Amino acid sequence: MTRPTLAIAGLTACFGCQLTLLNCEAELPTLAERFDFTYFPMGSSRHDIGGEFSAALVEGSVSTPDDLETLVKLRSRSRILVAFGTCACWGGVAAMNNHLSREAMTESVYGKGAGPTGSFNPCPLHRFVTVDFSINGCPPEKHELLTTLAALLHGTLPVFPQYPVCTECRNRECLCLLIERGEPCLGPITQAGCNARCPAVSIKCEGCRGPVTEANVASELEVLLEKGISREEVIRRMRRFYPEWDYGQRS
Amino acid sequence: MEQHFLADNALGQFLDCLTQYGALHGPTRTSDGVDVFGPIQAGIEGLLLDYRRTLIPPKKYLIPPRQTILNYATATGYTLPTGPAPQLVLFGVHPCDLQGIDYLDRVFMGDRPDQLYRRYRDAITLVGLSCEPDAFCFCASPVKAPHNADLFLQRIEHGFLVSTETSKGKRMLAGLEPLLTKTEAAPPPPVESRMMSRLNDVAVTGRTFPDSPLWESFAARCLSCGACSVCCPTCYCFDVLENGALDEMTADRLREWDNCLFRAHGEVAGGHNFRPTRRERFHYRYLHKYLGFGALAGVPACVGCGRCREVCPVAIDLTELFAEGDDVCA
Repeated sequence: MTRPTLAIAGLTACFGCQLTLLNCEAELPTLAERFDFTYFPMGSSRHDIGGEFSAALVEGSVSTPDDLETLVKLRSRSRILVAFGTCACWGGVAAMNNHLSREAMTESVYGKGAGPTGSFNPCPLHRFVTVDFSINGCPPEKHELLTTLAALLHGTLPVFPQYPVCTECRNRECLCLLIERGEPCLGPITQAGCNARCPAVSIKCEGCRGPVTEANVASELEVLLEKGISREEVIRRMRRFYPEWDYGQRS
Repeated sequence: MEQHFLADNALGQFLDCLTQYGALHGPTRTSDGVDVFGPIQAGIEGLLLDYRRTLIPPKKYLIPPRQTILNYATATGYTLPTGPAPQLVLFGVHPCDLQGIDYLDRVFMGDRPDQLYRRYRDAITLVGLSCEPDAFCFCASPVKAPHNADLFLQRIEHGFLVSTETSKGKRMLAGLEPLLTKTEAAPPPPVESRMMSRLNDVAVTGRTFPDSPLWESFAARCLSCGACSVCCPTCYCFDVLENGALDEMTADRLREWDNCLFRAHGEVAGGHNFRPTRRERFHYRYLHKYLGFGALAGVPACVGCGRCREVCPVAIDLTELFAEGDDVCA
């Protein structure tokens, strides 16, 4: 039987998602045996996108013409395209200031008189191509990556939680930072799967896994405003990993 | 009536004796200040005798939040996970939680016994403890032993009255006798719970309050965070998942706690959803929790522990429906 061929690639990104794969040290020998890592510029010296892929895992947001070209090339050569990490799924940290003028931002970084950079507002992959599956997280959880890869071997895709971080936080019997401490925790509107990694160590959820299905954004906003947190502060926090919240959304 | 009495100063020895029946677990406080059921290592140190309620009820010992229920291998097919369940003594379980376990027993060991549940249940000894209700809870018997209490400790001055409701408890009590004295005590006074009687009335009459404006208010506020069911002693809905392993030959089938306010709870293959809106999910929650389904139709699943009222971030309280119902009747 031929091994499934994989493309692991990054667009505008920190490459932390791809590092998650390399951090699966215990599983790497098995992965190398089971898959053909055909295109993996971060992990191999071969840099041409040749051949076809059973699946492409693409990290990062799309913010340059080169990103778009790479993405379209990978899409057209892959049976399954996986948005790998929060930038690829939702825009992520690169997109947090999409509401500001790009000219002003360019000027603040490169100084007056800097020409156009050719880049555009960072966007998630689904803005341009069909995405077959998503692995959320900044960075993604190892176990979700490995479960996805194993599922590919079995010819399927896994089912990940469609409930918020709160559920996993309660399951672990952590202190509720929102109710008990009045902190602006984004657990109620953030996709679970991290097993409440941050609240379990008393750090409020920053929303790094992106919006949960049917997030009750309006109700979360009401709760936080009632706690005395300003609307500006809440919105600033919420924008960090996903810039396109509908603040009136209830379902 | 003559009863067994355990003096406060004999409690440590009493707990030591209990460990012969399994590892001792009871109410304790985490470093973050959350009251939970957990291992009690240093005798009565760390044991919370006057706790109100733990965040998660002891159901976690019977159906853990996420549990492998079947192992698959190409050579052997599907098999139940092997290995015995750990022998546990759950100490300090309040009557509401004992009733919760009784309800789960009826669900999982009724007409079609769940082998894994039974394995865990058989390994558990239940030692109940009377409680003092607070503003959140409304159980009708905070000091009376439910029928599944192997041992039950009722708090009185300077100690506890010790009784048993099971044959296992009788054998245990015989062994514990050197630590006990006899005392004359009146049976616990009956407690009136207006909320519990309302709730039972609703279950008998099958009222559903379809026109209440509360449904819309609940649906608008609910974050679908899952806390109400995670923390409920009788919520047992679960989802089943199966993940293949990287070896391409084995897989684990898991069950994990579900919540009826999640979108996926009523979603089936092909994407159809039987309860697409939160409002419909609240009706469903109400029907299951207060009126009962199937073999348990007419049996309310609410034991009055007060957890869902306490843990909801947006103060949703389904019992407001009954209070409103009273006004309608009046």
